[in-house]
Amino acid sequence: MNYSSKLIEEAVEAFAGLPGIGRKTALRLTLHLVNQSPEKTVEFAEAIRKMRQNIKHCSVCHNLSDEPVCQVCADKRRDRSLICVVESIRDVMAIEDTGQYRGLYHVLGGLINPLEGIGPDALTIDSLLQRVAAGEVKEVIMAISPTIEGDTTMFYISRKLKDSSVNVSSIARGVAFGGELEYADEVTLGRSIVGRVPYKL
Amino acid sequence: MHLKKFIITHFRNYEYQSLEFAPRLNLVVGLNGMGKTNLLDAVYYLCMGKSRFSGNDRNVRRNGADFFRLEGYFQKNGGAQKVVAKVVPGQLKQLEIDGKAHNRLSDHVGHFPVVFKAPDDTALALEGSEERRRFVDNTLCQLDARYLTELMAYNRLLQRRNAALKQMAEQRQWDQTLLQVYDEKMKVPAEYILQCRQAFVRNFEPVFNRQFTVISGGREEVQLKYKSQLQDTGFISLMEANREKDRVLQRTTGGIHKDDLEFLLNGMPLKRFASQGQLKSFVLALKLAQYELLKQQKKVKPILLLDDLFDKLDDERVNHLIRLLVEGDFGQVFITDTHPEKAEAIARNFGGEYRKFVVEAGKVAVMGEELRN
Repeated sequence: MNYSSKLIEEAVEAFAGLPGIGRKTALRLTLHLVNQSPEKTVEFAEAIRKMRQNIKHCSVCHNLSDEPVCQVCADKRRDRSLICVVESIRDVMAIEDTGQYRGLYHVLGGLINPLEGIGPDALTIDSLLQRVAAGEVKEVIMAISPTIEGDTTMFYISRKLKDSSVNVSSIARGVAFGGELEYADEVTLGRSIVGRVPYKL
Repeated sequence: MHLKKFIITHFRNYEYQSLEFAPRLNLVVGLNGMGKTNLLDAVYYLCMGKSRFSGNDRNVRRNGADFFRLEGYFQKNGGAQKVVAKVVPGQLKQLEIDGKAHNRLSDHVGHFPVVFKAPDDTALALEGSEERRRFVDNTLCQLDARYLTELMAYNRLLQRRNAALKQMAEQRQWDQTLLQVYDEKMKVPAEYILQCRQAFVRNFEPVFNRQFTVISGGREEVQLKYKSQLQDTGFISLMEANREKDRVLQRTTGGIHKDDLEFLLNGMPLKRFASQGQLKSFVLALKLAQYELLKQQKKVKPILLLDDLFDKLDDERVNHLIRLLVEGDFGQVFITDTHPEKAEAIARNFGGEYRKFVVEAGKVAVMGEELRN
């Protein structure tokens, strides 16, 4: 594409470097900014700059946070005997959105994947083990995707926690809520039968 | 079961070809390098979801083409089934039966059993154990969908375990727990695969001996021995015993990917004591026994692809083989040959409908079609 202005071109390049944004969308966004008041763009840029300069990883759970310790970890009303282990920050948000969980989190920052050069050391597993060793935790809940990498990571953490007195559990896998049995795939349905739960009235 | 109609688009040296096959005998003649084997490989691909010769679909696609597609109409148990294999680079391979796409290869393999006999099959007897494992796996995958699933699971884990061993060596860190995790996960597929392969060899040996006697006309007795490090020890203890070796060599040195199938001719290793003729008979018997076993267990006659079957055989053996094929209880058979005379000889001896195809540089002409009753 031929741009009439070097300034426009630079802005388009910057937008196009973001995931999911192509050149046409980048141009549309840039022109949108041009049509707005200059203050708006300054606010926009300032928001991004401030975020990037001040965002931290929580020193306890490795979730993203404004403070050295994140809101979840700092919240006194949360159940400190529960830790939910997740792959990424997005999983924390998904579980928070359910409103069903009042314990703490631990963000691994990825999954064990030797093919991509990610070993256990590249994750925050050691920090999880330290948290457990500190004694307050009674249960570690694994909320990790059931892929080959996810399974390996769960297995690895469970093995590392074997000698501690903590309970290790994994989120239930099975038929989707509101789903029909006949449409569930056989692996899922099979696991649901094997991992059935007592029915309470 | 037979393949009735076949449409090839951009497969190897074929640009576009639509063919009607005879239900029993199909002769494919032509000079070297014209595409006889490619035609057989296309049939194989449709049945197995992959090429007999190359694991990479890029090598199968016609030069310069941006996709390839195979479409076949099978006649099976009185019904007709349309099968499509479509491969576009960058997209998942599409395999369909009657318009329904399969997500997994294991859903496709086994519906249309097939046996491919190629000249390089002597590698089965002469080369390393990988060829023999592939032969056993190829048969079992067509018989048991779970076998293929477990084999793929095992191979995926093995690949990761090896990558982990390499990474540990590079970073000079030793993490035994991670290896134990892979060991635990590989145990289930490994045990299933071992059990299937052992049962296979037991079932296969008598079938094979029958075929070998008929083909060689001799009285030699053949034994098949499945050799596995897992015969005397459990998977976990094998992995633990190999721990130090794995660490040094940076790969998984034990497991079902190291198993072998040993062939003994009159109690002696075939590899060292067989003549060229014995070897050829042996390999053909392996394939025909595979055919028998598939036929028995699938209750349908597989497609038999015989590539360059008569290569370097004397006339007597050729006649013997032709008799065998004519008298044997086979379904649809494809035979390629460079010599039109040999093809004619088969046709003369054969008492039913057949078709002859002449291949020239990726183009097929239907030449002789004769009906005799």
